[in-house]
Amino acid sequence: MKQSYRYEQTSCRLRIDGLPDLSASQADDAIGILMGWELDLIGRPSLEGKRNHLEALLTVVLPYARHLVSGVPRPFGADGSPVQIEPLVNGEQSRHRLRLFSSQPDTPPLEFDFDDAELADLVRCLDQLRLDPRVQLGFVIPAEVPLQRREILERVPLRRRLLSPAAGLAALVITSSLSLMLPLPKPAAPQGEAKPAATSAPTTPQAPAAP
Amino acid sequence: MHPLTESRSPSRLNRRGLERLDLMLLSVEALDLNGGEAMVFMAQQLGFGDLFPNRVELWKRRCYNPLRLACRRGELSETETDALISVLCALAERIYPMLRQLLSSSEPDVVSIQRWELFRQRLDELVRERLNPRRGGVQKLLDPEEGARHRLQLVQGLALGAGAGGFDRLKASLMDAAA
Repeated sequence: MKQSYRYEQTSCRLRIDGLPDLSASQADDAIGILMGWELDLIGRPSLEGKRNHLEALLTVVLPYARHLVSGVPRPFGADGSPVQIEPLVNGEQSRHRLRLFSSQPDTPPLEFDFDDAELADLVRCLDQLRLDPRVQLGFVIPAEVPLQRREILERVPLRRRLLSPAAGLAALVITSSLSLMLPLPKPAAPQGEAKPAATSAPTTPQAPAAP
Repeated sequence: MHPLTESRSPSRLNRRGLERLDLMLLSVEALDLNGGEAMVFMAQQLGFGDLFPNRVELWKRRCYNPLRLACRRGELSETETDALISVLCALAERIYPMLRQLLSSSEPDVVSIQRWELFRQRLDELVRERLNPRRGGVQKLLDPEEGARHRLQLVQGLALGAGAGGFDRLKASLMDAAA
């Protein structure tokens, strides 16, 4: 029997239709075979697609949100992926561009710019779908893992990252220049019959005095 | 195992994670005037009444934030941090409409600016009252320019960490490697 579930937020509504996979002993209210899905975003055309499109939406938007929480947003969705998302730098406001590629040839991609609130709504809808025990579609979604140091470093501006090494280098150059400007100690002038030091270099014997 | 040879469990929060967790809880308090009471109530609702039976016990755990004026040394167990993150996610879910209003660009600019200003005032008051103003992290938060970026990140983190779906995302983010 056909099942239909809806997940709603303020600016976003996701509906999925499907059937339980009885060969996998799924319950009657489960969805194991996806028949279709529809995503309604306020003020934008309704989106529909196949199973791989929904899976791509999950595997692109959720990791993007994960990076955004850590303060290091970066593009997700490889070339050829039906869904791509990237951060937009627009003054102080942060926006996010979702790009959807149609499987029909010669069809330009759809582009939606979201603000943070719309992105949060979409993420919450996808979270509800992901955590719904009735939906057993077996999507492979990357696990949430802590970011490595090199990924975090991107958060620190390049200027600030280079500040400490540059200051160290400048201090070294200044110290070296100052030490070069110091006068070299002059060799001690010979004082009369002063005996040469025991460790001094051998000197030429003095000529015998004339009678 | 001897305390000196005991290695930190990879699933425990580092100093930066504890800082951010407490700052996010502080942001919830800034947005919700009953946030302090709501935390204890929410902890009991989620079944953490044994861990956080009252505000004092909750406050003691939050004092592991190195930026606190009354800072406690050491680190929290994974059970305690998981409980705090669960409480934070539930609180963020509760105030999600407010978070959404702050983040939405469809709100009138004047109203949006007033909301952010109110949030800034309340958060600054709480920060001055509870955190050590000599710490660099606190000074950045109070800085007129850098503070705005930090506050936006805190609100974004709360909005994307709201609800049951946000727990794993928030926990993984709090366990990020130190930069």
